[in-house]
Amino acid sequence: MSTHVSEWLNAYHDGELHGTQLHRVEAHLAECDLCQAELESLESLSDLLHEIPAPEFTSAKRFAAQVNLRLPHKQTNISGKQILEIGWWMIPVGILGAWVFIGTSFVLGEILSAANNLGLLSSISGWLAFGPSSDIYWSATLGQFGLLSGNSLNWAETTETFTRLSLPQISLQVSIALLYLSWIAIWWVRHTRQEHGQLLEG
Amino acid sequence: MAMVITLDEAELITKAQRGERNAFSELVCIHAQGVRNVIYRMCGDLQIAEDAAQETFIQAWTHLPSFRPGTSLRNWLYRIAVNAATDLLRKEKRILPNALEDLQLQDPQLGPEALFFEEERTGLIQKAILSLPEASRAVLVLREYEEMSYHEIANALDIPVGTVMSRLNYARKTLKAKLEHRLFVQTEVEHVDTRE
Repeated sequence: MSTHVSEWLNAYHDGELHGTQLHRVEAHLAECDLCQAELESLESLSDLLHEIPAPEFTSAKRFAAQVNLRLPHKQTNISGKQILEIGWWMIPVGILGAWVFIGTSFVLGEILSAANNLGLLSSISGWLAFGPSSDIYWSATLGQFGLLSGNSLNWAETTETFTRLSLPQISLQVSIALLYLSWIAIWWVRHTRQEHGQLLEG
Repeated sequence: MAMVITLDEAELITKAQRGERNAFSELVCIHAQGVRNVIYRMCGDLQIAEDAAQETFIQAWTHLPSFRPGTSLRNWLYRIAVNAATDLLRKEKRILPNALEDLQLQDPQLGPEALFFEEERTGLIQKAILSLPEASRAVLVLREYEEMSYHEIANALDIPVGTVMSRLNYARKTLKAKLEHRLFVQTEVEHVDTRE
């Protein structure tokens, strides 16, 4: 005998199964007394619930008149939920916007720096105030005190330059990528939960 | 001869969204029965049902401009109705969560025959429903009494279909456990009647 179909009996009882899932449950019910009895108990319960008589309310027109008397004059234009929904979809837009902004700033900074080094910006270098580079401040200081020299000084300067210029950029890019991936993961979980029910349709 | 023009629901919604009270009253007339029925099944009290239904339509009127045309107004109203019923129940505290247990304690005094009176039976069933957690009760009510599909319930309560299934499974399993004795007694009585 195939495995029991208890978890699908409610959906079967409510007429929510279709396709292969429906055939699978029907085939199992034909040969399993246990599941058949469980289905019958669901049907009995449904009959029992319908023994409660329908309530007798005031007429719909009278009710509508009562509601009409209590209606406020103004309607609100936008619900809090809509604001939340808009906010939810603005998150990836904001993240992508921040990523583009930071990336563009980095590239522009590199171009301007390269142009300055080549002397192309000599006429406006004063205005841009590049001045002496402070990227190697600590290495230069240690070198002045004779603590570093030769290859070790070059290595320290390269490391400091990398740490000062590239590391913050990389950290920012990684952080943005992680934020974006987290948003996609949350969206995927929500989407999967919504789609789960569609499995019922076989 | 005067022509009777019946405006369909979409037109009524559009007019109500523009602030036309008469159009909204028409919508109230259309959905009053369903909304009150859902709330009554949720709380088991006629007066609470009337009050919560009024509250539902007032909230619906207030937020009607944000209602998306083309979607189901009934589902939208039911969502507000379930929330309104829950809020009112919490405020009024007329229904005790352990109502079923209270009734079971009273049963021995009533005698075994009393169990079979219709009023007792329906009261017991109603209390069993009321003893369910609100989330499961709402799903059960929409399925059993409004005969809504799982997708409609999911849409009305803004929950995934999988959650509808699990809540419905839980509600029925709990009810079966609580009413099992009554079902058994009923079966026994029917059996005795047949032999006589």
